[in-house]
Amino acid sequence: MTSSFNPKKESILDLQKFLGKEICVKFTGGREVQGILKGYDQLVNITLDQTQEFIRDAEDPLITTDEKRFLGLVVCRGSSVMMVCPTEGCEPIDNPY
Amino acid sequence: MLPLSLLRTGQGHQIMVELKNGETYNGLLVNCDNWMNINLKNVIRTSKDSDKFWKIQSCYIRGNTIKYISVPDEIIDLVAEEEQTLRTTYQQRGDSNRGRGRGEGFGGRGRGDASGRGRGDNSFRGGRGGGNSGDSSSASRGRGEYRGSSRGGRGDFRGSSRGGRGANNNSTA
Repeated sequence: MTSSFNPKKESILDLQKFLGKEICVKFTGGREVQGILKGYDQLVNITLDQTQEFIRDAEDPLITTDEKRFLGLVVCRGSSVMMVCPTEGCEPIDNPY
Repeated sequence: MLPLSLLRTGQGHQIMVELKNGETYNGLLVNCDNWMNINLKNVIRTSKDSDKFWKIQSCYIRGNTIKYISVPDEIIDLVAEEEQTLRTTYQQRGDSNRGRGRGEGFGGRGRGDASGRGRGDNSFRGGRGGGNSGDSSSASRGRGEYRGSSRGGRGDFRGSSRGGRGANNNSTA
């Protein structure tokens, strides 16, 4: 196999480097939260602290508004985690195309 | 040409991923696995109506939310090459490895578990098996054999989850 061969159990997601940092998590269904990564497992279940959920537009749930909802300490179930990214270095930009 | 081998070959290339919710992610494919979970870096995320854009340093996307991935054309040639090299290495390896069957200590199947389910239930019924009621701290998955004896013949032995016959004097739990 190639050098990138990954034993099945291990996730390709290296959350270790984000421990204690703020990350942004999107869920299937459209919810989006950000919080400080406290822990995780190989199923990508995630515990976040000081979590804030981005409130979405009532008419169009795809749009997130500036409004936030404070959730505190939460456990995110891995099966519904769609996307994970560090908050740092994540910003809205103008059309690059 | 398998979809996932194409994707694997695409590692290190710029790809475009569209999710089921319509968002697209353009970025460098860093890593992927057998579930199509992917790691991207230097990503540009585009909203469904392609009216909003975000720049993201790196992100992880779960495979089952992906609608499709578009890869650059040159990957197709690379896959052919890679498949060829894989085939030759497998052939070489296959010769030397033949007949080894399974092994490599992967735990895996087998009966017996510390909870006393499965065959036998630690209730002095004699019979076979007798469960392996060893200390439940050592999660004895796989083919048991966590205390020496590898496959009970008969009589007293401890720890084997595969009892042959006879009193299994293993009632410490």
